[in-house]
Amino acid sequence: MIGLESVALDVGGRRLLDGIDGSIASGEFVAIVGPNGAGKTTLLRAIAGLHPPAAGRITVDGRDVSTMAPLRRALAIAMVTSDDVLFEALRVRDVAAIGRFPHHRWWQWRERPEDDDAVSSALHSLGLDAFAERFVWTLSTGERQRVWIAAGLAQATPVLLLDEPTSHLDLRVAHEILSLLRAQTRTGKTVACVMHDVNDAAAYADRIALLGDGRLAAFDVPDRVLASDVLEQTYGVAMQRLTLPDGTTRVFAAVDR
Amino acid sequence: MASLLVGGTALSPVDVAAALLHRQADPAIVTIVWQLRLPRVCIAGVVGAGLAISGAMLQGMLRNPLVDPYLTGVSAGAAVAVALAILAGVSAAFTPAIGFVAGIAAALAVAALARRGGGIDPTRLILAGVSLSALFSAIVALAVIRAQSSNYAGEIVAWLAGTMAGRGWRDLAATAPYVAAGCALAAWSIPALNALRIGDVRARTVGVDVERAQWGILAGASLLAASSVVLAGMVGFIGLLVPHVARRFVGSDARAMLPACALAGAGLCALADAACRWIVAPAELPIGVLLAFVGVPAFLYLYLRDRTAS
Repeated sequence: MIGLESVALDVGGRRLLDGIDGSIASGEFVAIVGPNGAGKTTLLRAIAGLHPPAAGRITVDGRDVSTMAPLRRALAIAMVTSDDVLFEALRVRDVAAIGRFPHHRWWQWRERPEDDDAVSSALHSLGLDAFAERFVWTLSTGERQRVWIAAGLAQATPVLLLDEPTSHLDLRVAHEILSLLRAQTRTGKTVACVMHDVNDAAAYADRIALLGDGRLAAFDVPDRVLASDVLEQTYGVAMQRLTLPDGTTRVFAAVDR
Repeated sequence: MASLLVGGTALSPVDVAAALLHRQADPAIVTIVWQLRLPRVCIAGVVGAGLAISGAMLQGMLRNPLVDPYLTGVSAGAAVAVALAILAGVSAAFTPAIGFVAGIAAALAVAALARRGGGIDPTRLILAGVSLSALFSAIVALAVIRAQSSNYAGEIVAWLAGTMAGRGWRDLAATAPYVAAGCALAAWSIPALNALRIGDVRARTVGVDVERAQWGILAGASLLAASSVVLAGMVGFIGLLVPHVARRFVGSDARAMLPACALAGAGLCALADAACRWIVAPAELPIGVLLAFVGVPAFLYLYLRDRTAS
């Protein structure tokens, strides 16, 4: 379980987020949404232990992430970032295999059968079997995004954090990825995911954390977040709401034509 | 083997084999082989392997294929100290130790300037290395100008051009602990080097203590480079060229890359040293000069071909 207690986050000497409280249960899928610059990625990085809070405490299974050793933290939390940097000509399988780093001591250089299984399973679940021996630089941006997610899955952690995992994916692949992440929660994995599309967030997440004006503006089940005025206040745009046959709500920016 | 055959006195393979096995060999040949050529081959191997591993570690850490081991300031710092020591008339027996201490001190200065937070900023490291090296080079140039009025200029220039002449088992033994420490740090850094291939941020997410890895890599690379400088002066291009060639053949996985660099670097340096002794025998070419003549076109060819291919 992830716990956030009165968390404040600073960036460049400026307070970006303050007073963040909440918890994410094991097996829960939480979408983090909000306008550009609201602090979504910074919050995700803080949960991953990559950005120390200016105040408050972030815990995973009761342990403070900022005091956890890097290897121990990487055994508990995997994070799929959105930056796309590659120095070497790496093959898809090599990249996914790097996700197994925390499962080895520094003198254990050889992959074990369980490493091969974890990497193969991650590649298979992302539909990357046929790409395994391809160089990553030969893939499209969307395909590369799937490779990074495969590395995150190969890390085999109870918590998986993703920063805009569907940003470069077409509709079908985005649906497949979000369905896969949803399926991961059924095995007890906790998934927290920064997303831009609030309707995708509503369709796949158990709860939505809406960031705006330097705080956690809402943290609730999708229908309540989408139905509230907070959404319009946070994004600063009028919304139209549509109720689907299954009773769920979707929202769209009201457009005057 | 070729390195044992060539030099001021040409030896046949049979002579060398007999001397190596001590079977009824001519005592003069045994002395040449065991006291002059074999230590030199070993030194060339250690220098080549050390520079190539050092270059591969730094290129991997900084994710920059144009980095070479001397970026750490080791060689420039050692050059200043050795040049000033020669100018001051310090005995040649002390110059290796002076060069080693000054090289490590220069590397520490570069690291201190490149420090940001708990780790090392790659851009600052490159800027600090290039800047300090330029400053030290200017001091060396002044020392050479001043030495022209004495007999020391040739000694300084010979050291700067790289040479293994006059080195022996004692020099190898003196640097062995530092070479061993550098190799141990290289082995320790292999998993981190592999993870760093996907960038610092992603490496952190898989559990790499990036700051600790950076200090370990820099320390290992500096120790290997300083040991090489002490043994052979300024030997260029091996640390830049060999990692490129090794990467082409075995890929970027440090588990294969570093051993491949060690073998290729050792082989290339030993071969170059043999060529230096053979081309103008009984005199010697400076190994740094020969490697620059061969290394520059080879590096440009590889680099431009890679760029065209990508």
